[in-house]
Amino acid sequence: MTRSETVGIVGAGTFGTALGAVLAKANRHVVIWSRDPAIVDSIQTRRSCPRLPKAVLGPSLEATADPRKLAAEARFIVMAVSSTNVRDRARELGNYVDGSHIVVHAVGALAAHTNERVSEVVGQGLPTLKIGVLAGPALPADLVDGEYSSMVVASLFDEVVTEARRLLNAPPALRVYSSKDLVGVELASALSGAYTVALGLCDGLGMSAGPRAVLITRAVAEASRLGVAAGAEARTFAGLAGLGNLLVRATDRSADYQLGRRLADGVVTADAHRTEGARAALAGTELAAKLRVRMPVLAGVAAVLSGRAEPREAAQLVGDTVAVEE
Amino acid sequence: MAQAPSDRPVREAENRLERFNADRERLLAEVERRVVARRVVEAKHGGDASLEYVLNDVAFCEIKRLEASRQKNGAIDRWKDLSRRLLTMSHGDKETELRELVRYYGRDVVGNFDPRVYKFATGVGPSLLGVLFSPMTTLREGMAALKNLDQRIHPDGEIELAKACAERGTLIVTPTHSSNMDSPAIGFGLMRAGLPPTTYGAGKNLFTNPFISFFMRNLGAYRVDRRLRFELYKDVLKEYSTVLLEHGYHSLFFPGGTRCRSNIVEKHLKLGLLGTSVTAYKNLVREGMPNKRLYVLPVTINYRLVLEAETLIDDYLAETGKSRYIITDDEFSRVGRMVEFFRKILAHEGSVVVRFGRPFDPFGNDITDDGESIDRAGRHVDPATFVRGADGEVTDDDQRDAEYTRALGRRLAAVYPKLTVFHSTHLLARVLYDEVGRRTGTRDIYRLLRLAPAQLAVPKADAIAGVTRLRARLVSTPAWGAEHPGFTTQSSADKVTDALKGLTTFHTRKIVVEHGDSLQVADVKLLYYYMNRTAHIPAPEVEAAGFIPAAGRDHA
Repeated sequence: MTRSETVGIVGAGTFGTALGAVLAKANRHVVIWSRDPAIVDSIQTRRSCPRLPKAVLGPSLEATADPRKLAAEARFIVMAVSSTNVRDRARELGNYVDGSHIVVHAVGALAAHTNERVSEVVGQGLPTLKIGVLAGPALPADLVDGEYSSMVVASLFDEVVTEARRLLNAPPALRVYSSKDLVGVELASALSGAYTVALGLCDGLGMSAGPRAVLITRAVAEASRLGVAAGAEARTFAGLAGLGNLLVRATDRSADYQLGRRLADGVVTADAHRTEGARAALAGTELAAKLRVRMPVLAGVAAVLSGRAEPREAAQLVGDTVAVEE
Repeated sequence: MAQAPSDRPVREAENRLERFNADRERLLAEVERRVVARRVVEAKHGGDASLEYVLNDVAFCEIKRLEASRQKNGAIDRWKDLSRRLLTMSHGDKETELRELVRYYGRDVVGNFDPRVYKFATGVGPSLLGVLFSPMTTLREGMAALKNLDQRIHPDGEIELAKACAERGTLIVTPTHSSNMDSPAIGFGLMRAGLPPTTYGAGKNLFTNPFISFFMRNLGAYRVDRRLRFELYKDVLKEYSTVLLEHGYHSLFFPGGTRCRSNIVEKHLKLGLLGTSVTAYKNLVREGMPNKRLYVLPVTINYRLVLEAETLIDDYLAETGKSRYIITDDEFSRVGRMVEFFRKILAHEGSVVVRFGRPFDPFGNDITDDGESIDRAGRHVDPATFVRGADGEVTDDDQRDAEYTRALGRRLAAVYPKLTVFHSTHLLARVLYDEVGRRTGTRDIYRLLRLAPAQLAVPKADAIAGVTRLRARLVSTPAWGAEHPGFTTQSSADKVTDALKGLTTFHTRKIVVEHGDSLQVADVKLLYYYMNRTAHIPAPEVEAAGFIPAAGRDHA
């Protein structure tokens, strides 16, 4: 298989493994780089990833602990790691890639402390400028089950989008749409996690369908405002990366949703800030303050997460403040 | 892959423009060959790419232009004739016509380099004075002023690195643009820094000034006619610039496109011909010369006072965002006004500071002191890989190359503030604007323009204290720029006195007037203009709130 036909994946977590499985099933050559030798060994010898055991890993998928091999065999690389790891992994990968590589990340978060978008973080670690984002309502379980899933890829470079669609489209399991709105897709994807926490809170508090619908629509509206202030297109937030992501995550399969429900039950655990959505809520609130964008829903989630408000109190506050104009 | 520094030899620094005249026909032939070959290939797709469409586009635009100019010299007949003949022309005839047009526009664009003029202009050939001093009073005065200009320009910054890059590869000088005086200012700045002269594209409207035109015609400037908006002309212009870079001619582009009307340090760059740097490098890689490097050199030109300030700010405020692209009736077109500028303004020591930054490669990567590209993590990166595909082949992708150029533009826009040098005029203007804004509760220029004179008075002591605070903020945040290096030990009171001298002597309207212990703002527009040079520095209260100005916002 040639280098141009190979997909490299950084990270053998649930999403990276599921994506690799889908692509291998579609006869793509896939190389997954994991830092964990046990996972590499498991994939290579038992054709199974401990993080997603039900995924069937076809023969065209191989795992490696050597990022040099990944960069040498694949020009197109997907970074499927957590937001807390993405900076280190990008920097390490950057030792082996060059200006011709194409890298898209599938991290739905904002960088902690700096509030940077993940493409900015990745860009600081890699020499290539051809960077994009992959986002949307494709759950790992759905991907390995062959359910209909769709994602959107966005980049400033047409070549990134074209190559992503050429290499990642694997219908019917995965269809990839294109966008030029890199900022919008990244912010929409990150904030959808934060709003998933809000939906978990809402459901945990036993709110009815009406307030739930209001919450979703107001969340999309305020996220769009933030996006526009940051240079994105408003309509992106009603698309796959925004509303699509939010709707698919509002189930017990999502860690963000579970966190929201636990918070509603009054259970504040030490890991309250450890989901991507929770981190995005806190980082997004800071970004909104800097850009002077009013985001009552996001602020409410952040207040609960940081212990500054009780869930019901925050919900009441959100209900009181959002109804200014559509 | 990460790559060790190469051991490319460092060549002797040279004025490559000295060989330009011998090269000219070869360069033009290359431009003609490339443009025609590309157009003929693209014509096979038909539609807008067909030769018939391309030729008709030229004829249509030329007819419109000439009709608008109301010239009665029969030039329009040529284009009407072409338009008529198009329907009956064979493919061969169209190709011949295309070739002739490319040659015609190529000759219209191409520059000239006269080493004698260069020697005179750089002060090395005093024996040429007698020859070049014509009986024209304006030219003589201009020459004297030019000499003055040379002495008053202060180059600083990363000069040694720029010199090394000029020896290793080809320089692309990219200055900020606030005045038509920028061309001679940067020319002398380069010369005084020991850097070689560059070729550059100058708007045809600039050639209306006989004094400047003489030098521009003979010092490597090529003519850019902004009135010609058809694609074929843009093709010729871009290809000419590309070929020049490939042949190692140091070039200069103003990435801002046109003079900045507001005097804000440019952040939205039009880029224009800067895009030819990626194309030229890609061609060099394809030809097997990846080590023939191009270096993009950011430069700021910082004037104590700007010759055309009154016209520019009037134009900016009259129709913000829709400024006239070509202004032909400003101070620059009045030779007497220009000479006055030289005499009054440039008499001041260090009136113009030309500050050089660290060069980038064409993709916006930083470079080491050895001229090698490094990525944002500081690792060596081979710039040739940016134009290669999966299997190492050089690939053509206009959108990719345009995005690379935009990335380069973002790097330039990000570094310009840091390279900005503030004269006393800028500092006082900023402090007065802040004070008036604070007292009246608005920083909106249109509201400030309606204020009564009493609301525009600031105690001098407050102004001096404000200048002190602003200088301290500049010292603590080098990313905002720095005050003039020659006056860092000057007291703030002296700085205010010096600024008052500048703000009251040259422009037809006094900007600030001293009344006893008070400074009265007499011209809010011009105050705003000079204040704008500091517009990227947040107001103290805004900075304290941690507010990020929204992207695209121009007002402070």
